[in-house]
Amino acid sequence: MIRLEDITRRYGDETAVDSLSLEIAEGEVCVLIGPSGCGKTTTLRMINRLIEPTSGHIFVDDRDILSLPAEELRRGLGYVIQSIGLFPHLTVAGNICVVPRLLGWEKSRMVDRVDELLKLVGLDPNAYRDKYPRQLSGGEAQRVGVARALAADPPVLLMDEPFGAVDPLNRERLQSEFARIQRELKKTVIFVTHDIDEAIRLADKIAIMRDGKLQQFDTPEEVLNHPANKFVHDFVGADRALKRLVRVRVEDVMRSPATVLDGADLLTLQVGAGRRRFAYVVEPDGRLIGWVDTLGLDEGSVPEAALTRVVPADASVRPDDSLRDALSRMLGLGFRSIAVTDRNDVLLGEVTFAAVEDAMTEGDEHISNLPPEGAA
Amino acid sequence: MGAFVALAGVTVLPFVELRPNRLVPGNAYSVAAAGPWAYLLWLLVAVGFLSAVAPTARARAASSTASGYGLVIALAWGLGAASTALLVDQTAVARVSLGSGVWVLLAGTAILGFSGGEERRRKLLRWAGPLVLVAGAVIAAFVWGGLDRISLAREFSVRASSFWSLLGGHLAMSGAGLGFGLLLGVPLGLWATRNRHVRAVTLGVTGVIQTVPSLALLGLLIAPLAALGVAVPLLRDLGVRGIGAAPGLIALTLYALLPIVRNTYVGLAEVEPAVIDAGRGMGMSSWQLLWRVEFPLALPLIVEGVRTAAVLLIGITTLTVFAGARNLGILIFEGLGQFAPDLILLGALPVIALAVIADVALSALGRAFTPEGVRA
Ligand SMILES: Nc1ncnc2c1ncn2[C@@H]1O[C@H](COP(=O)(O)OP(=O)(O)O)[C@@H](O)[C@H]1O
Ligand SMILES: [Mg+2]
Repeated sequence: MIRLEDITRRYGDETAVDSLSLEIAEGEVCVLIGPSGCGKTTTLRMINRLIEPTSGHIFVDDRDILSLPAEELRRGLGYVIQSIGLFPHLTVAGNICVVPRLLGWEKSRMVDRVDELLKLVGLDPNAYRDKYPRQLSGGEAQRVGVARALAADPPVLLMDEPFGAVDPLNRERLQSEFARIQRELKKTVIFVTHDIDEAIRLADKIAIMRDGKLQQFDTPEEVLNHPANKFVHDFVGADRALKRLVRVRVEDVMRSPATVLDGADLLTLQVGAGRRRFAYVVEPDGRLIGWVDTLGLDEGSVPEAALTRVVPADASVRPDDSLRDALSRMLGLGFRSIAVTDRNDVLLGEVTFAAVEDAMTEGDEHISNLPPEGAA
Repeated sequence: MGAFVALAGVTVLPFVELRPNRLVPGNAYSVAAAGPWAYLLWLLVAVGFLSAVAPTARARAASSTASGYGLVIALAWGLGAASTALLVDQTAVARVSLGSGVWVLLAGTAILGFSGGEERRRKLLRWAGPLVLVAGAVIAAFVWGGLDRISLAREFSVRASSFWSLLGGHLAMSGAGLGFGLLLGVPLGLWATRNRHVRAVTLGVTGVIQTVPSLALLGLLIAPLAALGVAVPLLRDLGVRGIGAAPGLIALTLYALLPIVRNTYVGLAEVEPAVIDAGRGMGMSSWQLLWRVEFPLALPLIVEGVRTAAVLLIGITTLTVFAGARNLGILIFEGLGQFAPDLILLGALPVIALAVIADVALSALGRAFTPEGVRA
């Protein structure tokens, strides 16, 4: 889908990007990562011709990007930047419609598209369409920035540290929303970041750069398990096992829980708990209300003293959360397992500590014979 | 505050001056010369004092507004009554001029009128009613109240026909200077944002022009223009001569340049780089970016520059009479030459009024051109 062939960009004597070759398949998220100044932004901006390469060729859909006018090329490549750059004199709707307007869309089509996109990025169209950028919070503005880039449904998205300027809590929320949107839309995405956790979480392929040179181009799992050199190894950090958890989603390892209806007889509990010591207590509609320790209980109904009530939002994870979220929840609460619930607090399953451990050690190998530094 | 100033105007200072003819000094008379109107003036000043002590904000605003508007009407009729009374057994060339008290009273009135409430200033419609009333009452004072007998009115009636053509000449001259200033200044300001050398030269040169005294600039222009007119007869037929409208117009255009160029440059340069980057990245051409993003955002500052230039030019236009132009400056300088203070006023008052009108109108235009999303 996108192919960079031996791209070099020099500024005077300095080489910002050095003989870089990459191939990104359709529908894939490629994350460009590396320390500040390693040439990520330069690489990204060469793809939409905001910067011209000193040498080399770039192909989008097997067409050399030089073969069509720069403006036309850019209208087909969604572009999101860290500073967002919303037009302050246009409303949210006006900002989203910039490219559709350049493309000469019908008014009614633009109106529909605005609502559709605002819903997609998690903003209520009625509340947001007529707001001005200065009335938005950082996270809201960044969502509008993403909606604007998606407006004309470009097959490719170029994102330069899109969540770099928002606070950590909002960044995680934006990341999981981006992951959801990407599962839905299947764009070809080139995503620049300097945050390795973000890269591991969102990438299908990670391209690690240093001083303009590509160090490794691989899946996150490969980068974690087989770093190509010492630089990559150090860049990924010592907590590779934890990082691996980011790649695994709760729904992939959860098992069905032992449950019992609130107020039910202990005999039912014993059956429902399947001889496990702890069981989740749910309402008839499946909503989680707490858990019960069956040790020492053998007859009658569940006594209130044995029931620990919980606030589901605090004591459970969602199916599309990562295992690292699940682990940190467990550690925070001091449990050996954690409930999985949906949006409405309905119990779906549980994740155990043992399952987390399995995922953490999977594919782990000792990195002994690293190639010397600098070799890719 | 306003009431104190007004009080000084109606007590210690002379109200009118009776002179044997328009050129020699005469005797001062107090406000008592206005007969019964004097009592009304006193009463209205008292109402003005209420605005300082009234218990509610509403009452304060109402009393200061009422006394402000009332004083203008009472003053017009009082002056008419005073001049009628004083001129009863005088010769035909005797004149009644405005005393210093009238000016002080007017200043106090202005303060009272303007302190009547901030929000009123915004709502043009609420202004219109009282203004029409006051204007009607003042015109009535001319027709029936004897206001036409004061010296200023007599100077006007002598020159009624030339006055209007001089006023027209003044407007044409200032307007043309401003128009050429815009036509040249905006493109220059734009060019300055695109080219470092152009920026240094234009901002430097326009700054230097601003420091050249107006009369000196006019003098400097006369000789080369005269030479040019002689050398190229076609240009002379077009009005390029050492004496006439040409040197004045050129000087005015040059003076208009600095505020317009500077504000255009600053307005465009202040547009956030991220906004421009986003626009280009989405596929806007340079022209689209300029028209849809840069100019709308810079427009309030450009209009502000035009406002500064307009106020400046309306004043400087009076000086162009020395290079042979015909406008209100003629009245001022003839008045100075003849030591006829009322003739000076006949020229100066409309110039001041024009400057104030231009200031208010262009401020309002600037607000109207400020996009809603960037309003403070
Ligand atoms: N316009 C420019 N002129 C000179 N050097 C530049 C310019 N843009 C980028 N560089 C240099 O190129 C290198 C890569 O920059 P960049 O791609 O912005 O890095 P990153 O986005 O990875 O932080 C840096 O060393 C930077 O100083
Ligand atoms: Mg960068």
